Amino acid sequence: MINTEMIVEEVVKEVLKRLAGEKETVAKDHKDMKPAGRELILEEIGEAKAGTTGEEVVIGISPAFGIKFKENITGIPLADILREIMAGIAEEGLNARVIRVRHTADVAFIGHTAAKLSGSGVGIGLQSRGTAVIHHKDLQPLNNLELFPQCPVLTLDTYRAIGKNAALYAKGESPTPVPVMNDQMARPKYQAKAAVMHNFETQYVKPGMKPVELKVSFSKGGAS
Amino acid sequence: MIDEKALEEIVRQVLEELGSKKQEAKVETKKDEGLDPARDFPLSKKRPELLKSATGKKFTEITFEEALKGNISAEDFRISPETLLMQAEIAEKVGRKQFANNLRRAAELTRVPDERILEIYNALRPYRSTKEELLAIADELQHKYNAPMCAAFIREAAEVYERRRRLKGME
Amino acid sequence: MRSKRFQVLAERPVNKDGFVAEWPEVGLIAVDSPNDPKPSIKIENGKIVEMDGKKREDFDMIDQFIADYAIDVEMAEKAMKMDSLEIARMLVDINVPREEVVKIASGLTPAKLVEVVKMLNVVEIMMAIQKMRARKRPGNQCHVTNLRDNPVLLAADAAEAALRGFDEEETTVGITRYAPFNALALLIGSQTGRGGVLTQCALEESFELSIGMRGFTSYAETISVYGTEQVFVDGDDTPWSKAFLASAYASRGLKMRFTSGTGSEVQMGYAEGKSMLYLETRCAMIAKGAGVQGLQNGSISCIGVPGAVPSGIRIVAAENLITTMLDLEVASGSDQTFSHSDIRRTARTLLLMLPGTDLIFSGYSAVPNYDNMFAGSNFDIEDVDDYLALQRDLMVDGGLRPVTEEEVIAVRNKAARALQAVFKKLGLPPITDEEVEAATYAHGSKDMPLRDVNEDLKAATELMNRGVHGLDIVKALAESGFTDVAENIFNMLKQRVAGDYLHTSAVLDKDFNIDSAVNNPNDYMGPGTGYRLSAERWEEIKNIPQALKPEDFDK
Repeated sequence: MINTEMIVEEVVKEVLKRLAGEKETVAKDHKDMKPAGRELILEEIGEAKAGTTGEEVVIGISPAFGIKFKENITGIPLADILREIMAGIAEEGLNARVIRVRHTADVAFIGHTAAKLSGSGVGIGLQSRGTAVIHHKDLQPLNNLELFPQCPVLTLDTYRAIGKNAALYAKGESPTPVPVMNDQMARPKYQAKAAVMHNFETQYVKPGMKPVELKVSFSKGGAS
Repeated sequence: MIDEKALEEIVRQVLEELGSKKQEAKVETKKDEGLDPARDFPLSKKRPELLKSATGKKFTEITFEEALKGNISAEDFRISPETLLMQAEIAEKVGRKQFANNLRRAAELTRVPDERILEIYNALRPYRSTKEELLAIADELQHKYNAPMCAAFIREAAEVYERRRRLKGME
Repeated sequence: MRSKRFQVLAERPVNKDGFVAEWPEVGLIAVDSPNDPKPSIKIENGKIVEMDGKKREDFDMIDQFIADYAIDVEMAEKAMKMDSLEIARMLVDINVPREEVVKIASGLTPAKLVEVVKMLNVVEIMMAIQKMRARKRPGNQCHVTNLRDNPVLLAADAAEAALRGFDEEETTVGITRYAPFNALALLIGSQTGRGGVLTQCALEESFELSIGMRGFTSYAETISVYGTEQVFVDGDDTPWSKAFLASAYASRGLKMRFTSGTGSEVQMGYAEGKSMLYLETRCAMIAKGAGVQGLQNGSISCIGVPGAVPSGIRIVAAENLITTMLDLEVASGSDQTFSHSDIRRTARTLLLMLPGTDLIFSGYSAVPNYDNMFAGSNFDIEDVDDYLALQRDLMVDGGLRPVTEEEVIAVRNKAARALQAVFKKLGLPPITDEEVEAATYAHGSKDMPLRDVNEDLKAATELMNRGVHGLDIVKALAESGFTDVAENIFNMLKQRVAGDYLHTSAVLDKDFNIDSAVNNPNDYMGPGTGYRLSAERWEEIKNIPQALKPEDFDK
């Protein structure tokens, strides 16, 4: 088993290295980051557990969401995005639970992980750049209920509608999908930026780490 | 070192199985129809008399008129292993070894039902199966469907997934 | 104070494009990353024990797959000893036939292939593609999609695209559950426009296969492979699962190719600091090793990434070239929006259109880009007269033919009516005469009345559950009087029994004759050889309807 041992050791080393590196990065980033209008406070409250009630939708956020990044690719504050999704879920009378997925930065797998932990089987995946997916635990990871791959065209209204629809799926209904938006010029403008953002995002991935439950609050952050 | 041992083991297993299944294994790999790509391709135009569907229907009898009369079923549109092997022979003769081998594996898979093929594909995706589960699929392919090439391919995958930690529970 | 000139320049389309500096540590570099390995090979007892500086025990999944399946060990030692510059020169030497280069390339490692190709400038890359393309005749593929997954419009657009000369048509969905309808509309539309057009529906892998098994599609292409193990796993596959899938398609008599492209690994965040071209070469070799007949590459959906770095567009053409060197069919991308600038997007396309590839675009948007659900294509239907003019100006076969408004209207109407009839026979949500009329004259989905999406989705799922097969479509069409369309779809289904079109670069003409690298191989060896426009084809390309003829002055 020489190989396996070597791999384990390598992983451990890498994880330690990244953990050490992360502290610095976080501290540094906070300094340069101008505070958004409303500050997003994400408090880790232990390992994310499987839900027991069908009355919930789990939102999985990506590893660097709210840590490295405070805004999505077009500058919409992540606090506002998360709030809208949660409001959309609440509007349908369901509970929104937020977890941070740490073992992957891929939106499909984040959404699928959230769905698997959701009591209703419905989850939402959300990346820092704004890409989102509505997922169900019984689907293949790269399949989905609804996918919103073009983050630059998503508005706060869309995010609210995403939350609402996820809640409707959780209630066993088949809602009309959120109208698909398409801007073919988003790619030339944003794709390279998205790649850069995603490479930052993956630097926060911690292989083998379980998702963590988050307590979400929004404070009136520093005025600017 | 572990790699070589594992490889040795696979080779030994495969050889053993090939030995015990010689008759059947031969069916898939040997057969040379003496096809000449320049003369006989495309088979549907140049050698239609050689072709049959998986259900045994002659290619020349699969006609639009017969379909409208209700004499053709959806199953009659399934390719036969013999046809795939003939196409593999053509591929080999124009220098496309890997493509030919793909067609030979495909010839074996003609015997596996649609549903089961999709299940096996999903089982081969990362983190879906334990090593034992993959080896059981290999055995099933080998014995139930007479698919020794595909079986060996899946045994190899099981070894690779173990070495690279892509088996169930390793994510 | 700002320069007025710079203010004007800032408003130019090119300055709406995203450009980024190289960041080699994460692989944001087109070629020649400091982390790219150097070519090497070591073979013991017929097995590769070292490749590109890595020992066998350190191989990741992809290394092992390439070493064991993609490289011809018998050729490797000799080929790897050759000077890369010499091989690069053979690529552009008209006295060296394609087969000879293919043979040498079969023994090269990924790093060596990159070392060879990076010695070529863009003109040489184009010369090499002209020679190395597998099939003699170049071809073209299109996208047919719309924002609302409107099936009536899909059928009409598919028919028009077939009339315009595309060899293949690809659709995908806005909403996954619409897929069976989209595939059906594309099949019926395409076979109304011209018999023999191949169709596919890009979906999640296992869903795509199940739709193919039903006879709703005739080939598959979006079987993605990636150049690093982590990204491959994030793509929810391994080289083994993908190779198994390849055999699964062939076992049902369905043509297929893989898809990959520069930039995907860095886009997904795990390029391991390797250059885009090196990683893409690994993808092309996975395709070769798996034994698929072809590969769609040319960055594809990640084009904004190589498009943003220095030499990126040159490298995108180089990856197409590598695919041809590996003796694979190439569907050469140029299929996604990559620039706001008409100048840049034309330049990018000429690299492929002039030498010609098996499928120059993969695909050309046969619908307006606002309806293109692959997030737009580099050229769309609004550019089609420009494209036809380019064919005529340069005397180049880009795979398309001029059409008249009358014939387009007629064929769109017929396709919409054929779909209407099939929906009626199968008890699917009705298509009204108003919808048929709208689809006949529509430019895009904005011109279509809304359908009840929920009813459609329910019916689409039910269609799959009921086990409806392509043969049922044939019967429904025949019973509704669309005998010619029915017969074309029947002939498409019959292809899968013969398996001829599984072969490299195979497409079908209107009489269902196979045109492939087996019976029509590229034999280019300089002027007077290879593909040349026939008199008939040139006549067709010349005669764009808007050209004034002497007799027009007699009126």
